[in-house]
Amino acid sequence: MDTKSIPAVELDHITKRFAKVLANDDVSITVNKGEVVALLGENGAGKSTIMKILYGLYHATSGEIRIDGRKERIDSPKDAVKKGISMIQQHFSLVPAHTVTENIILGNCRGVIDYKAKEKEIQELADKYNFKVSASSYIKELPVGSQQKVEILKALYLNARILIMDEPTAVLTPQESEILMEFIRDYAARGNSVVFITHKMKEVMEVSDRIVVMRSGRVTGTLKKSETNETELAHTMIGHELKEIKASGDTAYESGRKRLRVKNLSVKFHNEVPLLSDIDFDIHEGEIFGVAGVSGNGQQELCEAVYGYLKPTQGTVELDGEDITHLDVRNHISRGIGYLASDRHRYGMIADMSLSENMLLKSSYLPGWSSRGMIHWRRLEEYTEKAIKEYTVKAPDHSVTAGSLSGGNQQKIVVAREVDAGRKLIIIDQPTRGLDIGAIHYVHQTILNEKAKGKSILLVSTELSEIFALSDRIAVLYKGRIMGIYRNGDLTTEQIGLLMAGCRIEKDTDVHFSGRREEEIE
Amino acid sequence: MNKKRTVYDFILWTVLAIILGLALSFSFLPVFGLQPLEAMKIMISEVFAERYSMGNILVKTAPLILTGLAFAFTYKANLFNIGVQGQFYVGCITAAAISLKLYGYLPGAVVILLAGIGSTLAGALVGFMIGFFKARFGANEFLVSMMSTYVFTYLNLWLMRTVLQESKHNYIKTDYLDKSVWIPQLIPGTSVSWGIVLAVLAAVLVWFILYKTTLGYRIRVTGINKEAAGMAGINPQKQFMLAFAISGAIAGFTGLIEVNGMQHMMLPDFDVDISSFGVGIAILANSHPIGIIFAALLFGFLQVGGTALGHASEAPASVIDLMQGFVMLFVLMSFYFRRKIELNRLKKMKSADKEVA
Amino acid sequence: MDMFVSLISRAVFMSTPLILGAVGEMIAERTGMMVTAVEGIFLAGAWGGFIGVYLTGSYTAGFLLAMICGLLVAMLYGVTTVYMNQHQIVMGTAIAILMAGFCKFFFRAIFGTPTTPLKIEPMKVFEIPLLSKIPVIGPVIFSQNIISYLTYLLVFLTSFVLFRTSTGLTLRSCGENPEAADVIGIDVRRIRFLSVSAAGCLGGIGGAYYCICNAGMYNSEIISGRGWIAFGICFLGNWKPVGSLLFGLAFGVSDALGIFAKTSQIGMLPTEFFNALPYILIIVLTICRRNLNMPAKLGTNYIKEN
Repeated sequence: MDTKSIPAVELDHITKRFAKVLANDDVSITVNKGEVVALLGENGAGKSTIMKILYGLYHATSGEIRIDGRKERIDSPKDAVKKGISMIQQHFSLVPAHTVTENIILGNCRGVIDYKAKEKEIQELADKYNFKVSASSYIKELPVGSQQKVEILKALYLNARILIMDEPTAVLTPQESEILMEFIRDYAARGNSVVFITHKMKEVMEVSDRIVVMRSGRVTGTLKKSETNETELAHTMIGHELKEIKASGDTAYESGRKRLRVKNLSVKFHNEVPLLSDIDFDIHEGEIFGVAGVSGNGQQELCEAVYGYLKPTQGTVELDGEDITHLDVRNHISRGIGYLASDRHRYGMIADMSLSENMLLKSSYLPGWSSRGMIHWRRLEEYTEKAIKEYTVKAPDHSVTAGSLSGGNQQKIVVAREVDAGRKLIIIDQPTRGLDIGAIHYVHQTILNEKAKGKSILLVSTELSEIFALSDRIAVLYKGRIMGIYRNGDLTTEQIGLLMAGCRIEKDTDVHFSGRREEEIE
Repeated sequence: MNKKRTVYDFILWTVLAIILGLALSFSFLPVFGLQPLEAMKIMISEVFAERYSMGNILVKTAPLILTGLAFAFTYKANLFNIGVQGQFYVGCITAAAISLKLYGYLPGAVVILLAGIGSTLAGALVGFMIGFFKARFGANEFLVSMMSTYVFTYLNLWLMRTVLQESKHNYIKTDYLDKSVWIPQLIPGTSVSWGIVLAVLAAVLVWFILYKTTLGYRIRVTGINKEAAGMAGINPQKQFMLAFAISGAIAGFTGLIEVNGMQHMMLPDFDVDISSFGVGIAILANSHPIGIIFAALLFGFLQVGGTALGHASEAPASVIDLMQGFVMLFVLMSFYFRRKIELNRLKKMKSADKEVA
Repeated sequence: MDMFVSLISRAVFMSTPLILGAVGEMIAERTGMMVTAVEGIFLAGAWGGFIGVYLTGSYTAGFLLAMICGLLVAMLYGVTTVYMNQHQIVMGTAIAILMAGFCKFFFRAIFGTPTTPLKIEPMKVFEIPLLSKIPVIGPVIFSQNIISYLTYLLVFLTSFVLFRTSTGLTLRSCGENPEAADVIGIDVRRIRFLSVSAAGCLGGIGGAYYCICNAGMYNSEIISGRGWIAFGICFLGNWKPVGSLLFGLAFGVSDALGIFAKTSQIGMLPTEFFNALPYILIIVLTICRRNLNMPAKLGTNYIKEN
């Protein structure tokens, strides 16, 4: 048998279940030698999961893995590495305080270490692939792009033949992305295989040989790059079900005042890729402004900057004509801004405290619930009970701990609180993640109610259906920039999909677009 | 999980841990030729034989409540004030100094009041300093507070040898406090002063601050989840300093209770274990102020009983230290087992719910 | 001049147990374990060391027993924090308190209450032939007891292993980024438990030093916070063995000065000041020092996600 034709990796009917969640549903993927396969899909499609199974971080519920035609069991990353599989994850496993060399040889050396020899060895490896990295630098001194190169070097040092990369260009500048693409082509040309997970169309078209598209845990298409185009891919990625584009029609808000004005907002730290660049938009009273995009493109930073938790390096945020850019969070809260963070466990609630104590979280400095430092518990508890009823939270009473509630019910409590705290503006990031249909419906209705009261709402979500169902206008965020602002109804799903993946679209149907369009988005 | 159920569970486990700890300690007594049950009998009979020794339980309990509160307060903010002993000593010497220098010039009650304010402020100042060092310089508060105790111990020694030494200059200690500045006796026939009442009031006050005021609320939030606190507009650094200052204040106040209420003077090696017992009590009561009162009572009883045991039999009084240590250990381990069981229960509960992650 | 030499010599002598404790603590802290039970380890070591020598007359037996006692205490800490995921600082403090009571109680159990304190013959100094005759350096470095010599060896050995071998790299990585080490297949929990055990052995010997080499007797005041000073020295020495050596010496000097001041009444500074000096130093240095090398995950337990 011709050894070249045996695929390097065969994932055969892999299914993975987490408790009640079906993360991978009968997924089969083949990767040939010398091939670059792109794994394309939105958040939650199951791309990371299937690759983590290949890398030994997860165990498949059913299905088979074959490497070079042989059935294999991969129980841990160590196993995977032994078989020539390495994975570069989004969060690097590097030790910042150690040097490049120390990181690479960790676990792969014995006895006394001849640092000089190892450094030389690693420097040669780096030079071989044209990585501009010095083997003796400390990781913490390196920019993120170089750190990624160290992760790759680690894999190369371990003789990886199959390289899995999870959203590798998320943290890279355009130039660094170019270099990475070059490396991938070079590496594959030597007979190795690359699987890279992405949601970015441009990369896919640039460097892959074949494209596997996933959605909701299944493979929705396997296409050869030469036989497809971006539009078709966007379609396969997002699917046809979203015919429900709710044209808002109601443009009453346009005559209202502009409540929130964000001008020129940028967040860029020294030596790093900008998190936000030149963000420009307004939100009227009584308007829901939706921000679409794959997560990790600056959504959290945008919310935090408007909320006052993250200080922008440039630009201003104005609320009702007042410049609030440099005010602290307390002052933002007192001016009526509520914020539902996407990670509620970290930022939104205190799991070990009761529901009523959680309701107080944002208002402890405000006069409503306390006088002269003493908390009006009775009043707060009644209010909490009311909220429990109103939002049909499944909780016996106000005194249970927030952590004992199911995820959906926790979210309802946080929604109740922030909706009240946000007298003027409510910032919402992923409001319905993890909720069941009923809860989702209720949260959506709540948001619409608040809009009817004249509040401004900044809605950030990776769920397009949610964006379409609620927003008056929609902005697409990609790599910290706004790709365009459109009226809801003026864009098709494909167009949004393309924007989310970094492609420009031909139609010039922008409304209130800031005009800061770059020649090269990438 | 219902909050009431949690409390019930907690008490059950803690009592179990206490019994285990005590049993283990007592099981070593046969080394001294004393059977555990016999030891229990002696302890109880000696202690409850007369008023005076029963009163001693309250005398011992008072400062233990306070040092427990002091440690617990910072623990609520997820901080460790290991310097309670040092802050206590600062409070002691301040109370002694004020009482000695001002008696006779002002009515006794006023002197006591001033001594109380002084000792509390002195402790608060030391506590605030430690908190400040942590907030401003990121200094490890564990280390700084630990060392501060030794520094203040030596400071006190020096003061007692020089400026505040007794008039007779025979020993390193202060003069005996004049009766007018003693905290008045509470129960006749015992040495119980109003100090125990003050201690209990302090516990109630701390409970009030922690659970009924925005100040306490913010400290608790910071202790559980610093990031959520920051997102809520609460400045964690400020909370640290506040928590340490209040903790120090409580420790300093303990000085008044012990000097003006019990010992009536200041001497070296005074109440040397009081803060380590405080740690144990705080752990036992899971830092709840009202629970601390009971935990302190338990330790108070054990201390008096232990001393009685030492007098009435061959067993050493240091069995108390053994008991304290084992009880703490078992209570801590009970948290682990309790958590494990609860996690298992939650897991089963959550997978029964229709949840899509 | 003679006075100066004997001062430094005394400083070296007093610094040995602190260096031992600090190096042991450092090994554990490098893997991310903040062994706050160190005072208890010292106590257990002193207790075991004294009993060993008293009952058998052999110094070796004494130090061996001391090491075992320290090890057992450390293992208790290790099991509860590494495997039962207890809070490191709380558990360490609890164990330190437990050991105080334990040692007191069992000393009494074994020896009762003798009218005069029990004594053992303090271990003699071992003068290295020829080298100890060199002026200044001779009495200072080469006229110490065996434990001190072993301690110096230990410092350099540890330094070498930590920075130049794969074992050292593994240890350091566990404390900096346990996830990274875990992914490679390193058993982080086992490494942490072992390093804590090492701290127990070294700390035990350090505690015993105070009894066997210095005081020649045992009581509950003999350690009096020395374990904590060793803990502080680990911090101040920036988690490097040589740093522990230097700061250990510094504290030895301040210790020696204290005794000096008592006997010769130098200046107007009270003896209490000298007694407090080591502790004041630690506070000042803790505040001023930018902890450049603190292991990133020091004090945090590593829980495997599965």
